[in-house]
Amino acid sequence: MKKLTALGLVVGLLGSPVLAQNKIEFKEFTLDNGLHVIMHKDNSTPIVNTSVLYHVGSKNEQPDRTGFAHFFEHLMFEGTENIERGEYMNIIQGRGGTLNAFTSNDITFYYETVPSNELELTLYMESERMLHSKVDQVGVETQREVVKEEYRQRYENQPYGTILPETLKRAYSVHPYRWAPIGSLDDLNAAKIEEFQQFYKDFYVPNNATLTIAGDIDYDQTEKWVRKYFAEIPSSNKDIYRPKVAEPKKTAEIRDVIYDNIQIPAVIQAYNLPPQTHPDSYALSMLSTYLTGGNSSLMTKELVDNQQKALAIAAIPLELEDGGLFIMYGITNMGVEPQALESEIDKLIQQVQHEGISDRDFEKLKNIIENNIVSSNSSVSGIGQNLAEAHVIYGDTDYINKTMDYYSKVTQADIKRVANEYLNLNGRVVLYYLPKPKDATE
Amino acid sequence: MKKLIATYICILLASTIGFAQVDRSQFPESGPAPEIKIADAETFKLDNGLKVFVVKNDKLPRVTFNLVLDRDPLMEGDKAGLTGFVGQMMMAGTKNRTKDQLDEEIDFIGASLSAGSTSIFASSLKKHQDKTLELMTDVLFNPVFPEDELEKQRKQTLTGLATSKDNPNAISSRLSSAMVYGKDHPYGEVTTEATVKNISVEDVKEYYNTFFKPNIAYLVIVGDMEKSEAQKVVRKYFSNWKVGKVPSFEYKMPTRSSENVVGLVDRSSSVQTVINIAQPVQLKLGDEDYIPSRLLNQILGGGSSSRLFVNLREDKGYTYGAYSSIGSDKLVSQISANASVRTEVTDSAVVEFLHEFNKIVDEGVTEEELEKAKANLSGSFGRSLESPSTIANFALNIERYNLPSDYYKTYLQKLNALTVADINATAKKLIEPDKLYITAVGNGSEIKDKLARFGEVKMYDNMGFPAKELTADADMTAEMVMENYLSAIGGKENARAIKTASISMEADVMGNKLTLQAVYDAEGGKYGQKTLIMGNVMQSTTILEDSGSISAQGQTMELTGEQFEMAKINSYLFPEAWYQELGYSIELDGLKDVEGTPAYKVIIKSPSGAQLVNYYSADSGLKIKNENPASGDTFYSEYQEKGGVLFPMVWTIKSQMIPVPLEAKITSLEINPELTAEDFQ
Repeated sequence: MKKLTALGLVVGLLGSPVLAQNKIEFKEFTLDNGLHVIMHKDNSTPIVNTSVLYHVGSKNEQPDRTGFAHFFEHLMFEGTENIERGEYMNIIQGRGGTLNAFTSNDITFYYETVPSNELELTLYMESERMLHSKVDQVGVETQREVVKEEYRQRYENQPYGTILPETLKRAYSVHPYRWAPIGSLDDLNAAKIEEFQQFYKDFYVPNNATLTIAGDIDYDQTEKWVRKYFAEIPSSNKDIYRPKVAEPKKTAEIRDVIYDNIQIPAVIQAYNLPPQTHPDSYALSMLSTYLTGGNSSLMTKELVDNQQKALAIAAIPLELEDGGLFIMYGITNMGVEPQALESEIDKLIQQVQHEGISDRDFEKLKNIIENNIVSSNSSVSGIGQNLAEAHVIYGDTDYINKTMDYYSKVTQADIKRVANEYLNLNGRVVLYYLPKPKDATE
Repeated sequence: MKKLIATYICILLASTIGFAQVDRSQFPESGPAPEIKIADAETFKLDNGLKVFVVKNDKLPRVTFNLVLDRDPLMEGDKAGLTGFVGQMMMAGTKNRTKDQLDEEIDFIGASLSAGSTSIFASSLKKHQDKTLELMTDVLFNPVFPEDELEKQRKQTLTGLATSKDNPNAISSRLSSAMVYGKDHPYGEVTTEATVKNISVEDVKEYYNTFFKPNIAYLVIVGDMEKSEAQKVVRKYFSNWKVGKVPSFEYKMPTRSSENVVGLVDRSSSVQTVINIAQPVQLKLGDEDYIPSRLLNQILGGGSSSRLFVNLREDKGYTYGAYSSIGSDKLVSQISANASVRTEVTDSAVVEFLHEFNKIVDEGVTEEELEKAKANLSGSFGRSLESPSTIANFALNIERYNLPSDYYKTYLQKLNALTVADINATAKKLIEPDKLYITAVGNGSEIKDKLARFGEVKMYDNMGFPAKELTADADMTAEMVMENYLSAIGGKENARAIKTASISMEADVMGNKLTLQAVYDAEGGKYGQKTLIMGNVMQSTTILEDSGSISAQGQTMELTGEQFEMAKINSYLFPEAWYQELGYSIELDGLKDVEGTPAYKVIIKSPSGAQLVNYYSADSGLKIKNENPASGDTFYSEYQEKGGVLFPMVWTIKSQMIPVPLEAKITSLEINPELTAEDFQ
């Protein structure tokens, strides 16, 4: 067995050739107006995924006008000069497609998956949206109501739904990451129509967008259609606003209690991370897997199975361009006080900080990460998104094929090092989520 | 400079030309429908009868192994629920590995492995396939079925059952299956506490020994593997699997009723009625009507643009959603439609359901509806093909249903070739709108009479068994129920002798200790109550003679008018002993079934209309249930004598607001203590 492990290490040192990642082929070009276009051809299934990544998220908003990027995620389905209000979804669905969008602190992402004979339609629809979306009073009023309902459903009504906003608020003191993409309803209410129109002009421009087409396509035909529909869209000559704010390192713990509509208390910890593209991101991601990935991981086995102090526990690195958060949350088991669970979590973090991880666990981590990376490219919509993010966030579309290489540079010692460097028990946010008493008059 | 201007003009021209080319007022036309390429499955068979399918897909260096048993449906009888235990029991350890070791070895290679009563599924990267197969076959050949795992699962199953008895949707689906298939059919039989308690490790072992046999099994391999390699690995890991004789079973075919029949479960605390309308159907994959039935259902009630949704939600506003489904199965399946509607519109909603069933059979569908349904189903068919497991299912279905080998390759052509006349013929053939089982779970006293117009109304209990026919003694009066109750607990005088009381109860809510404290002053008409979680006061109520307040989270609210009346009527320990002085009236609402116990339902009303609904056992006279649509039902049990009066020591509270029934036990009970104003704060 020892011999086998040694062999495994040697093979590991040789680097990428033995790793399982299949190469994702793609072609890319940039239009004169600055729109970056990535195409990935995979003819095995007659479907195609078209997406547009706008490099605008909640961090590009002004502190008194939060929630704009997410609000646009709604507004952009309202219609365009040629697409009637409310028809955007019906048209795509009526041709057998499905569509959606999401907004993060860094980006907004719109996508459609359709039968491959509807590719031209999706390009037309996305170009309409980029060229002349309807940003008018009626649309703004309608979507304000929808966003209010979304806020109720996803944050207020959802058990533990406010974890992200509550954590961000405390984890950042100056960086615009301090507000969540959903933002503030008051800001949205206060904003004038001209402000929404300006936001559209500033950020929803070809030179701030990446168009990705993945699936059953012909490269030449696709490029022709892309040029036909997108080349005429004017670029903006204004610089895109990207905040340059450095979040100071925390020197004290921030601790708070949140009462929520939940049955079971939870403990949340958050530690500030380096920028997403920092080499330590890989070690931190492996550290999170070591702590809570799978039934046999350190914290799951110790706290859920053995001590039964937690019903569930998870460590999630929320990776962001300017440095995200390592979020840990544990839900307490029957009759366990949050304090008791938290002190066990801390003990296990300290264990990794002092002792590092074993050879076998390191090997297990590599295997799990490899499996995850391979599986992440199993659908054209997944590939489309990964290609777009590789280009926008990592500045290199071929990053999609190099992820594994970066992970294989991580050493066993790195995992211990990043546990000490970033999981700083004296410079973190700790939140207790406790059941809110039922309002008896309801 | 000149150059620059020239370039500028060029760009201008170029973009003008660009504009001229694009007519944005027209949506691009659809291209020619793409050819559907569906990979062929390779197939071979081992000597022991194991049939293997290999769907090669080397896009990713992964491989999945799905072992499926094809056995006849089982009647589990007095051990109903058994098959639900098998999978987790198999994963709970083998002759070679404890559960912990198994978990660790699966995680170590980043694989996944799971088991059910008719399947084992494993998936990993190509390079770990040997280890994965070793673990998968260890689970298949060497499970040890530990006793403690069975007990753990039994506990979970019983908790789930208890929860489901108060869940209107669970009650509805249990009742509907029982009516459509009959309880003597595998699809209609009911898992109860009794059958779950009958299940032993021996039963699980016997099931395993009987049915995990290669001669009824399919192994589907999808991923980065050629047939030749598959043959090698399958021989290595599966050829020692021994053939066994597997019993087959036949069942009487469920028949449709001769006319519409209504089944009702009285859940008197309901504010909504769960309606389900169904009839059995013999329809299986590959039948002539199968593909038309997909389109038919899409038009009737498959989604948010379908007829049922548009009628019952968009047009009438009866419900948040109304849907239909047309099932398919080798043996028998059902056509059904359902919605949860406001109590008041229960019969109107049934009218609309029946109207839509009749309309689609009598008048058929329109060309436009058909085109939309085709686009919708073609699109989702296309998208589903991306997942290799879909291709594997196709291969398996072709084998199991004896379909032509190009069945799925030509699926979209078949779908798109269907005409309005085809769909209409299928509707007439499959749906009989006058032979339906109409089930309703809701407030019986409000909806029973209204449902009678649709057919004979049969009453059922929350487990789908016919409700005991209970008729109250004609001479029985509310006053007699009160008297019987008071004499059962020790006499009216003794009850009235309890002037004050202080009670403390404890319950466990998902791991939190919940303490309920209450003080009563019957003569002073005062009441105080506190709810504490982990020692912190979460909520408190104070009722004084003519004022009351509720505090939660540091905020206090005065109770006024109706709220006060409602709180007041709920604030007596023995309202039965005081109702006359208080000016309350009482009314008997028949003999009801309370979890198997016949009980008189009595409504105590204040002059302003606030209500208290209690149930008193017909046998013992004791109060066994309080019903409150707002806060849930409370069940009283374990009566013990305290201060000359019988008190229920266990209060079980069932409410929509809490996931599992809350069992509160009295931990201390003081009779006639001295109470001060402070005690009520």
